[in-house]
Amino acid sequence: MVHFTAEEKAAITGLWGKVNVEEAGGEALGRLLVVYPWTQRFFDSFGNLSSPSAIMGNPKVKAHGKKVLTSFGDAVKNMDNLKGAFAKLSELHCDKLHVDPENFRLLGNVMVIILASHFGREFTPELQAAWQKLVAGVATALAHKYH
Amino acid sequence: MLSAQERAQVAQVWDLIAGHEAPFGAELLLRLFTVYPSTKTYFKHLGDRPDEVQLLSHGQRVLEAVGVAVRHMDNLRAALSPLADLHAHVLRVDPTNFPLLIQCFQVVLASHLQGEFTVEMQVVWDKFLTGLAVVLTEKYH
Repeated sequence: MVHFTAEEKAAITGLWGKVNVEEAGGEALGRLLVVYPWTQRFFDSFGNLSSPSAIMGNPKVKAHGKKVLTSFGDAVKNMDNLKGAFAKLSELHCDKLHVDPENFRLLGNVMVIILASHFGREFTPELQAAWQKLVAGVATALAHKYH
Repeated sequence: MLSAQERAQVAQVWDLIAGHEAPFGAELLLRLFTVYPSTKTYFKHLGDRPDEVQLLSHGQRVLEAVGVAVRHMDNLRAALSPLADLHAHVLRVDPTNFPLLIQCFQVVLASHLQGEFTVEMQVVWDKFLTGLAVVLTEKYH
C-alpha cells in the first residue's frame, strides 16, 4: 500500500487547492488524446478529434476531462486508502469501459506535466515526486479490481 | 519518423535550451533522482546525494548529447552510434528507465515554458525523445 508522509500530503493538498479542476481536466484529457493518439480508441463518440486544436477545443473532451479530474479530487481526500476510494471506479473501468490500466499511468504523467506548466518554478522536484507518487497510486488503485 | 514541420518544432524548442545545457541538465537529473530514486543506481559514481557541481557537469553532458540528436534528426543512428554502443555494452541502463527520463524532461520544459508549453511542443518532444531512446537501446541485443 502506498504511504504518504505528512509533508507529501501537505504539498499535494496545498497545490490541489489552487487547481482549476474544470480547465485542468479538459487540458489533461486533451493532451492525453493528442500526445498518445491511440488513447482516442475509447472516445469514438466524442466527434471531431482530427487535430490537436480540434481535440483541445472539443466540448465533450472538456466535459469528460472535468469529470475525470473531479473524481481525482477523491484521491487527494483519501490518500491513505486509494484502493478503497477507487474500488467502484476500478470495477467500472474493467467491466464496462475495458480500459487497459496502462492508460491510467499515461494520464497521470500528463497531469503532472500540466501541473508543472501551471505552477512553473513552484513545482519543485519534491512536489513532482509527491504528485508522481499520487498518480501512480491512483493508477494502481484503478487497476486493483481488474480480473 | 519526424515530419519536416515536427523537426522545425523540435529545433524551435531546442533554441530555448541551447546555451543552458548545464542548468537544464542539472534540473533534469535532480528531478529524475528525486522522483525515481532507483535511477540513482546507474550513477553510483555521483554518490547518494549528488551535489550541484556534479549535477551541472553530468547534466551538461546529457543535454549536449540531446543537442547532437537535434542537429542530426535525419540521421540519428549514425550520429548517436557511439552513445548507443556505450549504453549497450558499458552503461547497460535498463530500457524501462528512458520513459522516466523523458517524463522528467517534459516536466522541466513545462515548468520553464509554462503557458508557452503548447500541446504541439509536448507531442513533438515526446515523439523525438522516444525515438532517441529507441536508438540508444537498439544495440542492446
